[in-house]
Amino acid sequence: MKIKSIVLRIYRRLALAFPHEFQMVYGADVIQLGEDAIDDIWARRGVFGLLRLLADIALRLPIEYLSEMRRDLAYALRTLGKSRGFAAVGIISLGLGIGVASLSASEFLNLIFRDAPGVRDASRLVMEMGTSYPYFERFRGQHDLFDGAAAYQGPVPFNVSLNSSHGSAVNTRAERVFGHVVSPEYFSVIGARAVRGRTFDPQIDKPGSAPVVFISDRFWRNHMDADPDAVGRTIHVNGQAASIVGIGPRDFLGVVPVRPAEIFVPTTSPVAMVPELAGDVLHRSGAKMFQVVFRLAPDVNPKSAEAGLETVTRHLDEESLDPARYAKGRRVTLLPGGEMVPIPREALPLELGIALLLNGLIVGLACVNLANMQLARASARRREVAIRLSVGASRFRLVRQLLTESVLLACLGGFAGILLAYAAAAGLQKVRLPVAFPINVDVTPDWRVLLFAFAVSLTSGIGFGLIPALASTRNALASTLKEGASTQLRGYRRFGLRNLLMASQVGASLMLLLITGFLIIGFQKSNQVETAFNPLTMSLISLDPVRDGYSAEKAALLFDSLPERLKRAPGVLKIALAEAPPFGPLIANSTVTAPSGPGTPDQVAQKVGRQAVGAGYFAALSVNMIEGREFDERDQRIDALKTKLLPVVLNETAAHEFFGNHDPLGQRLLDASLAYEVVGMVKDLSAPMSSTDTGADIANRFPTLYVPLTRNDFAHSPAGGMIVMVRAAGGADTLDGIRQEIASIDPNLVMFNVRTLSEQIDQTTFLIHVVTIFYGAIGSFGLILAAIGLAGVTAYSIARRRKEIGIRMALGARQGQVLRLIMREGGTLVIVGSLFGFLGAFGASRMLGAMSSVFGPAFAAGSRDPRLIVGAPLLLAGLAMLACYVPARRSAKVDPLMALREE
Amino acid sequence: MPKPEEFLPLKTNWFHILLSLAGDDQHGYGIMQEVLDRTGGKVRLWPATLYGTLKRLIEAGLIEESGDRPARELDDARRRYYRLTRLGRRVLDAESVRLQELVRILQVKRGLEAL
Repeated sequence: MKIKSIVLRIYRRLALAFPHEFQMVYGADVIQLGEDAIDDIWARRGVFGLLRLLADIALRLPIEYLSEMRRDLAYALRTLGKSRGFAAVGIISLGLGIGVASLSASEFLNLIFRDAPGVRDASRLVMEMGTSYPYFERFRGQHDLFDGAAAYQGPVPFNVSLNSSHGSAVNTRAERVFGHVVSPEYFSVIGARAVRGRTFDPQIDKPGSAPVVFISDRFWRNHMDADPDAVGRTIHVNGQAASIVGIGPRDFLGVVPVRPAEIFVPTTSPVAMVPELAGDVLHRSGAKMFQVVFRLAPDVNPKSAEAGLETVTRHLDEESLDPARYAKGRRVTLLPGGEMVPIPREALPLELGIALLLNGLIVGLACVNLANMQLARASARRREVAIRLSVGASRFRLVRQLLTESVLLACLGGFAGILLAYAAAAGLQKVRLPVAFPINVDVTPDWRVLLFAFAVSLTSGIGFGLIPALASTRNALASTLKEGASTQLRGYRRFGLRNLLMASQVGASLMLLLITGFLIIGFQKSNQVETAFNPLTMSLISLDPVRDGYSAEKAALLFDSLPERLKRAPGVLKIALAEAPPFGPLIANSTVTAPSGPGTPDQVAQKVGRQAVGAGYFAALSVNMIEGREFDERDQRIDALKTKLLPVVLNETAAHEFFGNHDPLGQRLLDASLAYEVVGMVKDLSAPMSSTDTGADIANRFPTLYVPLTRNDFAHSPAGGMIVMVRAAGGADTLDGIRQEIASIDPNLVMFNVRTLSEQIDQTTFLIHVVTIFYGAIGSFGLILAAIGLAGVTAYSIARRRKEIGIRMALGARQGQVLRLIMREGGTLVIVGSLFGFLGAFGASRMLGAMSSVFGPAFAAGSRDPRLIVGAPLLLAGLAMLACYVPARRSAKVDPLMALREE
Repeated sequence: MPKPEEFLPLKTNWFHILLSLAGDDQHGYGIMQEVLDRTGGKVRLWPATLYGTLKRLIEAGLIEESGDRPARELDDARRRYYRLTRLGRRVLDAESVRLQELVRILQVKRGLEAL
């Protein structure tokens, strides 16, 4: 019968696929039994019986393999249990490596490659940061480029209170929440719908119509107890009644969720409700305080949209005589919209590159180290392996056994890593960033990260396990069993696998140590805060009278008299106002022009920091003017909308950038809306963590303009409130006095965010400390791994060469000579490795530095530091030589008689 | 030596194989045939399953390969013979006691119903 012979052929083929050991014992019997039984099966059950026969053997195959794997696993657990030290080092080092890698993978998946929740078709959204409303209205008309455009301003603080229940006049306590002021097309452009009620609509929400608010799901749950009748309820926003028209979808927090918006109010709202709209910002082309989100038209890509927008912007700049029209280079940078964090697409490869390089180095280092230790262990297990080979175990089986062990170790490490990543993510969420508005950083690992960690574990388990497994099972049987092995006298192999691994490990550790060292020293250098006085003696207090229900005029009057009133409090030395805390991060996004005489081109600088400070600001910080004067009370009373020329104080870098070596006093400057006259110059003040508007970090020194706080600034306080700086005599507790003074002015005025300057600086530099500790840990981790690896390899090489050493000593070599011999080999490895590490570190940091404005200044500042360039290799070499010396000393204690008698 | 009770209740395949080996030593084909005959063709131990089970029974120490060969004219030189170990025999006994007990319980219940 043809069918029977076909079935038999398949059956035999399957029988031969059983695991080696099963096949050795039962393979022939299984085939025999199949052949014997097939006629009977055919006779009794026909074709169905034959299929059943095949199904039986096909199902049995995986079962047998699984059972072997289970035994391998049990065996591996026993072996690891016996060598706990090895297991601990492996789990900790891989755990650290995989933990760090998982956290960074989680960051990419949850923050960088994630669309904003509740936003439709986010890949078609782009954003421009910092433009004015009139510009936006022109952009909105570019229908060939965009399907739609919406402007928004945010995050903006709102003082919000709710009627505690329907009809009741009792209001709940006002809470400060952050939200967006949006043009009415906002929701339709980003494609966010209302789960209840409606979104804003340009047809309905027009200037003059009744005030409305759209709330997020989060606000609805946290502040309204998920009231099912929330739509239609009245809510008080900055003291003005508005009705809730809709609730957003779950997790929807605006178009840039990393800076979450909990409530949304339209740009058509009255100024009393939204002080950000004061000063006619909707009609002033110089008021560049809006972000615009665009939905690209079909077939338009971000690049061509950017080019198109550039043309429109240049045109508008000419029309409005914007000083930026002189600036060279791009005017418009579109960021991707609708993502958790808007990161310029050009910056992505670099971000990914750095993450891959660092994480790859860490995990790779842990793997190389484990491979080394596995090799060393394999030599100890040589006899076991040889015996098992000689009694018929296949090499494949043994390799699999050894691989199971390393994969198990890697998976345990991966498990530890995931735990670490969870802990770190939880810690990160508690971190308060030095910004006035909340930041939503949730990098809790999800299932994709678990998958990633598992994949990395598996890969690294195979990665560091395979080569040692192959190497240790390659031994010629006879020579190993005889143990008189000629291989014992092979001595030093210059390009042996182990030496290669070792040298590369030394190289990689040094590279890691140097790169992390550059970053640490660089970050510290460029983010140091120097104060001329004890920062504990200055308190910072935030006030936001407009949102406490003050009119713009009343707020201006309050701030006019406030410093004098507060100086009456006991112990107070100096009082000054500022729109942001001193030494806080600045966003350097202004374009400023220094017009020159006819015939010569104007001096234009972009990425200029701008800070509005009140009278006596520098005196309060004990910063002396290098030239000219600082602002006084008269400057604070200026109406910036009516004046043509505003006084300005420059820092040294700005003065140099605009006027070279000329005297800056009396010179003119222009920015988008105003003209300035330079009245003074101060030294550069630290502003750690500052960045440009595209999010790129910048170093500590950048041109900064100090402009006076004016009446217009008091009309709407910034996100963090107006900052009152109170400098007190050392040791005096002035806060109670200040509280009483403020309460005596107006008991309804809320003081918030009260802290000392010292706390403020700590908060600002906290992230730098975290980064420093993080990189420091990575660097020292590499160092420790390298030392463990070197010690292991040296010990191994000595164990292998016991006989050789014994002969040498029997022939009269002294202990010192033997020690030198061993140390020389270790030393060669360290030197070769260090050389490559050095080259690698400098190459990598040059490359990263050139590509990145984040790391550029840090590398530039760090890589010239002699402490590092000399110190790091010395530290590594010292540790490495110590790691060689400890086991090498043992070699000198080899008793030649014992070593030779083992023959 | 593990206690026989640890193996109870026996898996069906295990029970059938042990039962087949309760008499003479058997080879794989013999076990398969006997089980077929005993169950009227209803239970067939398919080859791969049979040998997989034999392997586990040996690992558990319930059966072992038999060195004895039957009479020359009956002997099939290609085949391996298996027999119960002492533990295997005790496990089989324990299982049959367990089954008897179940049968007895059933009978008592039936008897009560009949009353």
